[in-house]
Order: sequence, then structure tokens, then C-alpha cells
Amino acid sequence: MMTARRLKLAGALGLGLLALTGCSNNDNPQDTFGADGHYSKLIADLNWVYIAAIVVGVIVGVAVILALIKFRERPGAPVPKQVHGHTSLELTWTILPALVLAVVAVPTIATIVKLNEKPKQCMTIQVVGQQWWWEFSYNNGVTTANEMVIPAGEEVCLKITSRDVIHSFWVPRLNGKKDAVPGRVHDWYIAADNPGDYWGQCAEFCGLSHANMRIRVRALPKADFDKWYQDQAKPATTPTEAAALRGENIYSQQCASCHVIKGAVDAAGNPVDFSKPVPLVSGAAPNLTHFASRSVFAGATFPLYLDDPATPDIDESDPYTAEHPILNRPRLEAWLRNPSANVPMVPDDERGMPNLHLSESQIDDLVAYLAGLK
Amino acid sequence: MALIERKGQLELGDGGDRAEPIGVFTRPMAETGWRSWVTTVDHKKIAIMYGVSAIFFFVVGGIEALLIRLQLAQPNGKVVSAQLYNELFTMHGTTMIFLFVIPIGAAFMNYFIPLQVGARDVAFPRLNAFSFWAFIFGAIFLNLGWFLGGAADGGWFMYAPNSGTLFSPSHGIDFWTLGLIITGIASTAGAVNLIVTVLNMRAPGMKIMRMPVFTWMSLVVQFLLVFALPVITVALFLLMFQRNFGATFFNPDAGADPLLWQHLFWLFGHPEVYILILPAFGIVSEVLPVFSKKPLFGYPFVVFSGAAIGFMGWGVWAHHMFASGLGPISVAVFSITTMFIAVPTGVKIINWIATMWGGRLRLTTSMLFAIGLIGMFTIGGLSGVTHAVSPADLQQTDTYYVVAHFHYVLFGGAIFGFFAGFYYWWPKVFGRMLSERLGKWNFWLMLIGMNLTFGPMHIVGLQGQPRRTYRYAPGMGFDMWNKVESVGAFIIALGVLVFLINAIQSRKHKAYELDPWDARTLEWMTTSPPQPHNFDAIPTVHTLDEFFHRKYDEDPATGAMIKVKEADQVLEEMGRDEHIHMPSPSYWPIAVAFGLPILAFGVIYSHILIVVGALMVLGSLYGWAMEPATEPDSGGHGGDVAPSTELVSHG
Repeated sequence: MMTARRLKLAGALGLGLLALTGCSNNDNPQDTFGADGHYSKLIADLNWVYIAAIVVGVIVGVAVILALIKFRERPGAPVPKQVHGHTSLELTWTILPALVLAVVAVPTIATIVKLNEKPKQCMTIQVVGQQWWWEFSYNNGVTTANEMVIPAGEEVCLKITSRDVIHSFWVPRLNGKKDAVPGRVHDWYIAADNPGDYWGQCAEFCGLSHANMRIRVRALPKADFDKWYQDQAKPATTPTEAAALRGENIYSQQCASCHVIKGAVDAAGNPVDFSKPVPLVSGAAPNLTHFASRSVFAGATFPLYLDDPATPDIDESDPYTAEHPILNRPRLEAWLRNPSANVPMVPDDERGMPNLHLSESQIDDLVAYLAGLK
Repeated sequence: MALIERKGQLELGDGGDRAEPIGVFTRPMAETGWRSWVTTVDHKKIAIMYGVSAIFFFVVGGIEALLIRLQLAQPNGKVVSAQLYNELFTMHGTTMIFLFVIPIGAAFMNYFIPLQVGARDVAFPRLNAFSFWAFIFGAIFLNLGWFLGGAADGGWFMYAPNSGTLFSPSHGIDFWTLGLIITGIASTAGAVNLIVTVLNMRAPGMKIMRMPVFTWMSLVVQFLLVFALPVITVALFLLMFQRNFGATFFNPDAGADPLLWQHLFWLFGHPEVYILILPAFGIVSEVLPVFSKKPLFGYPFVVFSGAAIGFMGWGVWAHHMFASGLGPISVAVFSITTMFIAVPTGVKIINWIATMWGGRLRLTTSMLFAIGLIGMFTIGGLSGVTHAVSPADLQQTDTYYVVAHFHYVLFGGAIFGFFAGFYYWWPKVFGRMLSERLGKWNFWLMLIGMNLTFGPMHIVGLQGQPRRTYRYAPGMGFDMWNKVESVGAFIIALGVLVFLINAIQSRKHKAYELDPWDARTLEWMTTSPPQPHNFDAIPTVHTLDEFFHRKYDEDPATGAMIKVKEADQVLEEMGRDEHIHMPSPSYWPIAVAFGLPILAFGVIYSHILIVVGALMVLGSLYGWAMEPATEPDSGGHGGDVAPSTELVSHG
């Protein structure tokens, strides 16, 4: 059937074209060809391997199709010559691919070396994965969650570990991934050439909400970053407005056993005590000191600020939009009302935030307090 | 050969005559009905049981896949919960690898190795039966989690510490761990059996370099199994002790390194993938020559490359761990070894094309699947080479790009190879042909379906879609391709359905011809289906492709090959052996096998059952060992049997 052969040919070419569309550098937030920084560029410089692979694939495909066309059985044809082999040909097509691969190996090894070189100068951030969120700590004592702020145009040294199971830190446009393993600390590096937002997510299966353990890296111009860095080191300011004050009280009673807010005081005006162990398997919950200065929350799954308060159907809202000034109140309230209904967790096993059965007025007060933690 | 000569009736040590067997029960005799299947030691019946079980689990794994694709057809799918999704992808991978590809390989190997080497059965027929029963009990046990509190949910790779009871408290992972220990015992026993069979029971004249390539590849697979299964069994025991008896092998708080599990798992896991693919490579190496009317191009190179893949497969395992925190030297070394394992595989692909080149190609369904394998495996193999470039792999690993890679090599490779085998060998096994018309639909639906399903995964993987995620966010660029993939999955399902219909309706299809494909190897030099004793006379082998050379001769004038004999004439001339004795059926294999799941239940629920199960295993082993080697009065095990001067195999 000529159609069968043409179909196969068309299919092969179609696949090849399809494959090439994936290669284009586009605006997709986690595009591995994005190469927006020094390290991801090192990796992207090896992308010619994909082209080479496609070329080899096309050669094989063409050979098969040619054989199908030329040697299709014709009625009455004799038994073909019973060729058993051809040693020198076979040796050639054993050795030649080996040589090609040796050529590929050289830049591969060079890149491995460069990816693992500690930069002469870098800012260090401790990265800790736990079910199901990322913690980032800076040298000045600042601890934040879900959103990593870095200076654009500078190298950042990461020290990656985990508090429970294996996770993997991955921001594709800035570098390949590196696993976060409990009991080990892994050195890794990122750098963003330009200010902007870079998205990533946990890339090692870690249980129920593995899919919801996202990362947002915000690269700021150096001056902005320095200001951010200083502001984050300050403790939270005591609220003045009544609802927010009530919120602080509720926080000190219901939330402070897990969540640290540096500078928070209880109803009596005493600083909250954070020395007791956190009742979670991982031993930590997100630090909320400057919660409202972030653009995402709950494993970076939801935007903290929205475009339009009337955004319908919060479930479908795309978190990867630029920041906007309207607080995502509905989602924040839904989270406080019943955390596991928003992101699957196992609070009964002390993995994830429990449902505190807060009343609606308590939720309103807490939101008022959290919204003020800029 | 593993046969001993025995005169007359069974002689007892005390010199007395054999009046009563030593075993408590007499040896079963059934030749028909369900009892004949439960007690069979015939490699062909065992193979059919493996095949039916494997296809059942193929459908189970396929349904799990369809549910996954339904969930992922939209970004924030609500088809299944996150918990159920994690169970589904864990069980899909586990089922497809351990309960489909391995046993369907076992089915083909069990059926055809004895026939291809000219033997009457395998070296240890009862052990063969035990392997099947242990497998099916292990397979069922593994799946019990679905009904008893939740299936395993830690991924088929089951990384620690997520696999511990702290993070996965249901018994699902226990059913998984113990089920795989049991199926591992089955496969290890089977491997020993087939190695001895191939090395010791070949027909006269069948030198090792005259064996069909399918048998050669199977031999390499058995060696891989023998060495790889103990590694995962150790890992599974460590995990089982951690989960059930308080051990801390993988607990970082106790000083353990979680990477220990990864090393053990992948030391098994990488040879495992060659275990999965080599039988299909063997099948294709049989099918292509038959339907090209030419011998396999470069038989020695193909054989040696198979052995090379077997060896080199041990040196690449940490390419599954490039992002896990290995140092750059380890990463570099494994990067290089992984690149070079592409060489022997490439040799095969080229030699297969060279087999077709200059041939006379008959595009039967079997041939289409074989050619499909060449195309699809090449794609999967090339994406594998891109994985070897470890910096690139740091982007690719744990994304859908990897999912694309292994589905191209497993579906487009292993599964296409097995389907080529189905269509090729169906008339041999069942005496009926599968419909070629339905077969073409089967092939095209599967080919188009798999490319629609797994092709776009290359793209979304490189666009940043990670694996093992029950949902993905909109606005990432994944939406459209995921819909395409889900549609493709249902097209594959249609293709499988067509195959099942084809299989069922084949009973009514035209009655068999002796040699429907004008084949080349020994298994075709007998009736279809073969008699229980396989060959009326064990042939003497003079060359590779013995059957072909008995039918065809070189015309002295032109040098061309002309057919000088038809198949029935070749069979006639083989004659018949005078004395044929076959191993007797036995129920001890299923009895021993049954003790294993009881023991496993005991580990999970009640330690008393461990003792019960162990006693059943040990007691049945005793019965097995003491069972008389043969029923001296047995008249007909499917053929003429003369009771004196018998050749008795250690059954």
C-alpha cells in the first residue's frame, strides 16, 4: 500500500518538526531552554546534542523507509541473496558511533566541571525542602518561604537540604535541578542575568502534594535587593488597627507554635516564645515575618496579590502573572478556613497545616494582621 | 545433559521392589481439565499461563494509565484525588514492568527456548511450574493493597525515606515490597532453570553460535536476572524490615544515607531495563529474517552486542542519580559509560536494517511490528543518549522528557517486539492464525496512539513539566500537549482492544498450516501446536537456521536459493525416537508457592502466619524432594512411551 508508506514518511517528518517546536526558546515560565542565567546557559550550550540526535533519527528513519520501498515483495521474485554479514562494514559502524560519542563526551565533561565550580564571590542562601514547601534563609538571619529573592546579575550559592523526605530544587530557566536530601547538604548555584521572575517546582516525588511545592525566584536590581535585604531583617511592626491587633492575639495563641513572626507579641504584650519544638514531622512551618511582602503563598501555589478582585473562579487563576495590588483575600480566607481543602496535606500525621476550626471573625482578624506584615 | 539412565522400575535403596511411592500422595495424572493446568510441568502450558496472566495485567496497568491521562487532560484535574493519583502511577509502573513485561517475556522464553534448542522441556520442569505459581501469587498479593487500605503510593522506584511508615502509613507499600520479593523469587528460579536448559539441553550439533538469536538474548537476560534480582531483593528486605520490624536502614536520624536505597534500587534497575528489552530484540531478530527472506545480517555481531549490553548495563546505574548529590567525578564517569552503551544497541539497529536491505519484504503484521520497533526504539534510544549528557539530564530528569524516553523504548521497543512475537508465533502455539486484517488495525492504532501519547512528552518535559504530579498549573505551556497525550492514550487502548478481539476470534480462524511463514528455526520443525514431547525425534543440527537449510538448497548453476523440500517432508524425514519419557505432573510446586503469600501476610498482619507459611513452604519442599521421579506404570504422556530403558529427566 503506497498510502501506508507515505503515512509513515509523513509521520516521521511530522514528528521531527514537532520535536523542533519544543526546542524554541519561548516565554514558558519553566522552559529548560530559557537560559536566563550563567548556569542554565552552560547547559543550553549543549543543546546541539538534540539536533544531532534528531539528525541520526532521521537518517535511520529514511533508511527504513527506503528499504521498505526498494525491497517490498514483488510476486515471482526469487529468494534474495543470503548475505550473512560484512565484517569490515560492521566494524565500521561499531567504531564510528563510538568516535562520535567520544566527541560528545568532551564538552559534556567540561560542562560538568563548570557547573560544579564554586564561584569566587556569591551570596549564600540555605534552601530547605520539607513537605510541601521551600524555606530560604539568608546570612543576616532572614528566613522566608516559597519565594527566593536574589540580586540580578550576581551568582548565588545554594546550600540545599531537606527536613524529611527527598525533594529537588529546580528553577529551569536558571539551572538544572539538585536534590534536597535529609542528612546531606548539597552545594548548587543559580544566577539570573536580568531582573524578573523565574518559576520552578520540586522535582523529586515527595508525597501527596509534590505537585504543589513550587518555587518563585524574584531577581531584583542590586539596589532594590539591598533594600529588601535590610527591610526583611527588621522584626514585624506591631499593628495599630484593631482587627489586626486581634489578629496578632489569635496568631500568638493558635499559630505561633509552628509559624515564626519575629517581633510578634502576645495579648499581654510579651514577645512570643519560639523556643519550643514545632509539632510537625519536619519540625518547621513557613516563617511569616514579612508575609505580605511576598507575591505567593502556600507552596507558591497561589498568588498573594491579584489583578482584579472580581477574578472569577479562584481555582483556575493563573498564579504566574505579574504582581498586582489586590490582596487575594478569598484564597487566604479559604486557606485559613481549611488548609487541606486547598492543598492536599496530612495534618493528622503532622505533615501539613491542621484545620484550626477558626471562626469567620477570627479569620477576618488574622487576614487583617497578615496583610499588614509587609 | 541433565538426564540419567534408569533401568526398569524405580529401585529403592534397600534393594526392594518399588511397590508404594515414598511421597504421601500419588503423583497426579490429569492430562485435561483445570487439574492438568494446576499440576502441569509442561513448559508450553506454563508459558501459556504466564502469557494469559501477563495480558491480564497489561489491561490492569493500561486502565491505571487511562485514569492518569484522564486526570492530566486538563491542568487542575478533578478526576482523581492526589492520593489516588499517587497510587495509580505507582501501580501503573510496577504492574507494567513486573507483572506484564517480565512475565510476557517469561512466556515467550518458556515456550520457545526448549523448542528452539531442540529439547523436550526445560532442565527443571517442577521448578518451572513453581516459578509461575509464585509469580501469580506474588502478583495478586502486590495488588491486594487496592482492597486493603490503599495501594502502594511511593512510586515504582519507592525512594526512601518517603517509603517509610512515617510518610506512608498504609499497608500498600508492604504489599508492594513483599509481592515483589515473591515475584523476584519466581524469576530467579526461572533464570537458573533456563540457563541450565540452554547450556545443557541443546540438541546434538546445536553449538552455541548456532542458537537462534531469541535464545541467545534470553540467555543474556537470564544471567542479568540471576545477578540483578538479588540486589533488589536485598533492598526490599531492608525496606520490609524497616517498615515492619523497626529497622533504620534508611533513616537519616539514625545516621543512614537515603541514597543507599537509590544505589541498591538502580543497581538492579538498570540491568532490569535490559532484561525488559532484550527478549523483544531477540524476537525481532527472528521475525525480520523470516519476512525478509534473508538471514540475520551479522549474527555474531548481534549476539556479541547483546552480551555486551548485558555486561555494560552494570556500569551505568548512577545515570538515574545525576541530580541526587553525587560528586562531579561520579557524574562524569557514569555519563561516559552511559554514552557508550549506545554503541552495541546501535549495532543491532543497523544490522536489522541491513537484514531488510536486499531482502524480499513481506509486510505481515508481525513484520510491521518488528519494523515499528526499529523506528520507535531508535527514537527512544536517541533520547536516552541525550540523557547521557548529564548537564542536559539535570534539566531532563524527573520531567516528562524521561517519561517519553522510556515509553518509546518500552512501548515502542519491548511491547512492539512482543506483539511481533504474538503475530509470528500464534499459529505455532495455538494452531490458528491471528487475522491479518485486524492485525493491521492493531498495529496502526498502536503506532499512531503511542506517538500521539509519548511524542509530545518530549516537548512538555523540556518546557518544564515534572513527573509524578497529579496536577499542573495553567499558563505553563503544558495544556494543549497534555490533551493530545490523553487522546493518544485512548487510541492505544483501542489498539489493545483490537488485539484482544483478534485473539478471541482466532479460534474460528482458518486451521493451521505446518509452516505458514516459511520460517528458519527449529521450533517450526514440528506440529502446531507441538505435542507435549515437542519433537517426535530430536533433530541433529548442522547449521544456524537449520530448518531453512533443510528446505532450501543452493542451485549449483545460478547460486540462488531454491526450495527443495516442503515443511511436511522435512518433518517426515526426521522420523521418530524410540523411547520418549516426559516428566510427570506435580502439585508440590503450587503448594510451595502458596506458602509464600501466607508468610507475607504474616509479616503484615500476624506473625503466627509467618510460621504457618514457612511450614507450608518447607513441608512442600520436602514432599517435592521425596516425590518419586516417575510413575513407572504411566502409559501415555502424550506420546508413545516404552517403560524399559527410559531416559528420565530430573523432574
